[in-house]
Amino acid sequence: MEKYFDLAYIAESVPLLVPFLKVTLMVTGLSVLFGSILGFILAIMKLGNSKIAKKFAYGYTTILRCTPSIVLLFLTYYGIPAIAGNFGINLNDIDKAVFVVITFSLQFAAAMSEVIRSSLESIDRGQFEAAVSVGLSHTQAYRRIILPQAFVVALPNFGNSLLELMKEGSLAYTIGLIDIMGKAELIIAGNYNTHALEIYLALAVIYWTLSIVIEKLFLKLEKAFSKGKQVITTA
Amino acid sequence: MSEGLDYKFLVETFFVALSGVPITLFITIVALIVALPLGFLLALSRINQIPVLNRLAQIYVSFVRGTPVIIQIFIIYSSVPLMLTSIFERYDVEMKVYDVNPIWYAFIVFSLNTTAILIEVFRSAISTVSKGQLEASYAVGLTTAQAFRRIIIPQTLVVALPNICTATVNLIKATSLGYALSLQEITLRAKVAANVGYNYVEAYIDIFLVYLILCSLVEYLFKRYEKRVSRFKAVSI
Repeated sequence: MEKYFDLAYIAESVPLLVPFLKVTLMVTGLSVLFGSILGFILAIMKLGNSKIAKKFAYGYTTILRCTPSIVLLFLTYYGIPAIAGNFGINLNDIDKAVFVVITFSLQFAAAMSEVIRSSLESIDRGQFEAAVSVGLSHTQAYRRIILPQAFVVALPNFGNSLLELMKEGSLAYTIGLIDIMGKAELIIAGNYNTHALEIYLALAVIYWTLSIVIEKLFLKLEKAFSKGKQVITTA
Repeated sequence: MSEGLDYKFLVETFFVALSGVPITLFITIVALIVALPLGFLLALSRINQIPVLNRLAQIYVSFVRGTPVIIQIFIIYSSVPLMLTSIFERYDVEMKVYDVNPIWYAFIVFSLNTTAILIEVFRSAISTVSKGQLEASYAVGLTTAQAFRRIIIPQTLVVALPNICTATVNLIKATSLGYALSLQEITLRAKVAANVGYNYVEAYIDIFLVYLILCSLVEYLFKRYEKRVSRFKAVSI
């Protein structure tokens, strides 16, 4: 080990890691899907009339926000099989990715419920009233007038939450999921812990690139969708 | 683990987890003390577009926000000792790198991380304070330092506080990754206690509760402080 640090090794390890990006992206994608659905339900509960549903939804958000991802991850990883075990269901040889998706769906739902709630609230009440007054039904008013506008408002926050989720997803290696981070750990273990720094740098480069790409994508989307938006300009 | 929760262990480990709170808070506070002024200054350099600093801050923020904290931790944890060894060798310092307390690495990682987050927080907050405020303070004869201390910073703080609160809570949550630095904080202590009898569910419930209490408390304190500073809030006419 006369050479501690080898810059070329970073470039060499990137191609080894990139194939496992698939797992990372799949887990992220599924979590976003389930999390968004759950988040939407929570947002409706927050905006609805039922006091109990409101309390529950806000309580859920507060609790999930105060829990580190890694703690939630282990709580589902150890907790769910234990609960299922009480009912005589054996979940011990289920794929680890399932627990990861459950964890991050729960967490993403908390973030999304706030994003959706604030975006729906940002739409002026008059829009709904106007829609109803021109003869649209409530469903039509929501589908055609409110939701498209709320969607544009929600986009940047959705993008931020997505990036946050992707980064937190790197913790999935702690329960043994072989995503890009897990693969990196394997490579390092296979190298007897040498060149760890180079591998981590390679990982950082991959994540960084991915973040920038997603960020740019959302800026583009935002621009494309806000074409009908009326912006108040101060002359 | 079909016999259900071990309540005795649950209660005992709760206090074990609680004993990690001082370290968590210590790291959080040190990180904030470093990051608040640094973040503010770099945010100013971003706004005033100081040539090199502006660009550097931009790349720095982009990197920290674009990579997972755990990778930042690993990078610092594996690069700083390398640098230290070569420095120690060059200057003949009689000290082993592995004797360095891991808390120092935690300080470095979380300070750097929080600084980047706060640059963005302050940048958006400062830009909400209109330039006229600064000009008005000059007009009544304040120096730049006075203008910032008495006029600009209080108004910035009102806008920035909710985001600083979020950043602090995130920071507390992020310190749970200190296990990678073998730092004796909440998560690691409870986990080690659980290793004896494989009581992981109980241990993680305890950790969960401790973080819940800690973060709720921090949020509550920030809410109260927010109320106090809200008197500086600019009233739109």
